[in-house]
Amino acid sequence: MAHLTLRDVRKTYGYMEVLHGIDLDIPSGEFVVFVGPSGCGKSTLLRTIAGLEEISSGEFRLDGALMNRVAPAQRGIAMVFQSYALYPHMTVYDNMAFGLKIAGLPRREIRARIERAAESLQLSPYLDRFPKALSGGQRQRVAIGRAIVRNPRVFLFDEPLSNLDAALRVATRIEIARLKQAMPGTTMIYVTHDQTEAMTLADRIVVLRDGRIEQVGSPVELYRRPANLFVARFIGSPAMNVLAAEAQGGTRLRLPDGGLAEAPFEIAPGTALQYGIRPEDLRPAAPGEAAAVTGRISLIEQLGEVQLAYLEAADGAAPLVAKLPGTLPLATGQRIALAPRPEAAHLFGEDGERLRPAARIAA
Amino acid sequence: MTDISHMPAAADDAVPARAPWALLGRAMLQALLVAIAALVLYPLIWMAMNGFRSNAEIFNSPFALPAHWSFAAYAAAWQNGVSQFVLSSLVVTGVSIVTTVFISAWAAYGLTRTTIPGQPLVVGFILGGMMLSPTVALVPLVRMMQDFGLYNTHWALILLYTAFRVPFTTFLIRAYMLDLPRDLDEAARMDGASEGQIFRKIILPLCRPILVSCVILHVLFAWNEYLFAMIFTNSPETRTLPVGLTSLMSKHGTDFAQVFAAMTISALPIVIVFFLTQRYFIRGLTEGIGK
Repeated sequence: MAHLTLRDVRKTYGYMEVLHGIDLDIPSGEFVVFVGPSGCGKSTLLRTIAGLEEISSGEFRLDGALMNRVAPAQRGIAMVFQSYALYPHMTVYDNMAFGLKIAGLPRREIRARIERAAESLQLSPYLDRFPKALSGGQRQRVAIGRAIVRNPRVFLFDEPLSNLDAALRVATRIEIARLKQAMPGTTMIYVTHDQTEAMTLADRIVVLRDGRIEQVGSPVELYRRPANLFVARFIGSPAMNVLAAEAQGGTRLRLPDGGLAEAPFEIAPGTALQYGIRPEDLRPAAPGEAAAVTGRISLIEQLGEVQLAYLEAADGAAPLVAKLPGTLPLATGQRIALAPRPEAAHLFGEDGERLRPAARIAA
Repeated sequence: MTDISHMPAAADDAVPARAPWALLGRAMLQALLVAIAALVLYPLIWMAMNGFRSNAEIFNSPFALPAHWSFAAYAAAWQNGVSQFVLSSLVVTGVSIVTTVFISAWAAYGLTRTTIPGQPLVVGFILGGMMLSPTVALVPLVRMMQDFGLYNTHWALILLYTAFRVPFTTFLIRAYMLDLPRDLDEAARMDGASEGQIFRKIILPLCRPILVSCVILHVLFAWNEYLFAMIFTNSPETRTLPVGLTSLMSKHGTDFAQVFAAMTISALPIVIVFFLTQRYFIRGLTEGIGK
């Protein structure tokens, strides 16, 4: 059991506050992923949980016990570092045994734990090797093994896959998912800026920006109902298209260049808002159908199954992207009319917050 | 059957011949290196060889090889006090190596791994010790050692060598430690290691190249140091090799064979230490300087 509770957690370096009052509950056994752009405070938050950074104010509790002043090793937390942080002068076995020896475990117990972990991570043939004689993936597995042998209540991963190549990253990601399945009672917190990792691994995702939580929710929830423009643009690849729009009465919206779109609910006429549509929710408009966007294709990225069509944007705005079937005959320079599915539209107010049906009353 | 006499032409075409200028340059460089090596090594070899000759042989033909190899001069030098000087030098050098490197490594660890207030000032204060001239500090140091009752003991030299070498050694080790990734300390901290354990089991083993460099530099300094050894010791029991050799020369100045033998015995340990550890020495210095 390891239920984490963070209440108004703040972290300051001198006069600079980098975490501005984090409130978060992580139930036992959950796999939570912290995502956000560089400098958003996700690693700092992870390190405060680990005990490697002191909490400036607020509370961090683990199963109800206050952890603010508890030493890292006494928290029952293990961490896998981005750089692996394997001790280069020790063999794989000694790396995994280091913490256990310091904890004063009997030699036989240490050996049994290491052999068990090494077997599950396919590291048994490498126990006598030094880290420099291992590949990147093997080093990462050793780092995970070093964490496993301590039987921690909470696992922390600080961007563990960022030093691996693309193929190895996928393989190791699957291994981490399997590891989670094998340890259902262990709470895991994973930091990444890669949203594919976040979406595929997480039970819940915490999106951070500038030291604040923007949204907490399941991957599907964040994808389908982003709380604000930042989350909408951050989750999903390619990023959501966002266009300035004006309500025309009822559910009708006017987009730039005279395009028309339907809102999923009624909005007071004249309301200025931001209209968001994901590239995968755009399709070529049928003959006679009102198009939301019409434009000239400036670039096509053919990915086989799908193709990404970038439409020329006026006045230096970000190009609009549509994810279309790979078999659709398209050419650069071609004009194309795109229509969205009405239920797929995301509406945000001028302040960037998601508009809900009740918003029409306010407007 | 293939006529092999026709083949070399093709082989020569495949491997382009070196330009004559490149060959000449390389030959000149090698000749220069050999000349430098001879310039450095010859006096040492000459000194060692004259220890195997008699005084008469040295005067009659100074540059000839020994007619017969005799250890008499070496044995005489050893019995006339060199053994005691070697022992004193070993004690002073050995103990001051341990104290200097240990204190410097701990200081460097503190300066690179902790956030003490006014750290740059502390770094400046410690490194400022390198500016201190031993000659200027001599008189107060003599008074101090006399007051402590350490005058004319090995401890006087051990303390002074440690005090005067800690700044430079700290400078070298600190520069090396700055390059060691912090993740290692943090991983060890997560594993439950105390500061002492992190220092002893993680950081110190990783600093081996620079520690070896520091040991060699300290051996070179302490083994050859003359000023402090001359001022702070005045009995045969406490004299180290440099001062001891001077007294030997004043006593047996006309017995050149014995003097050469004593000098060879004095130089031998340094040469051996350097040859055994030169790999670490060069690596440690090139990795550690300039931070």
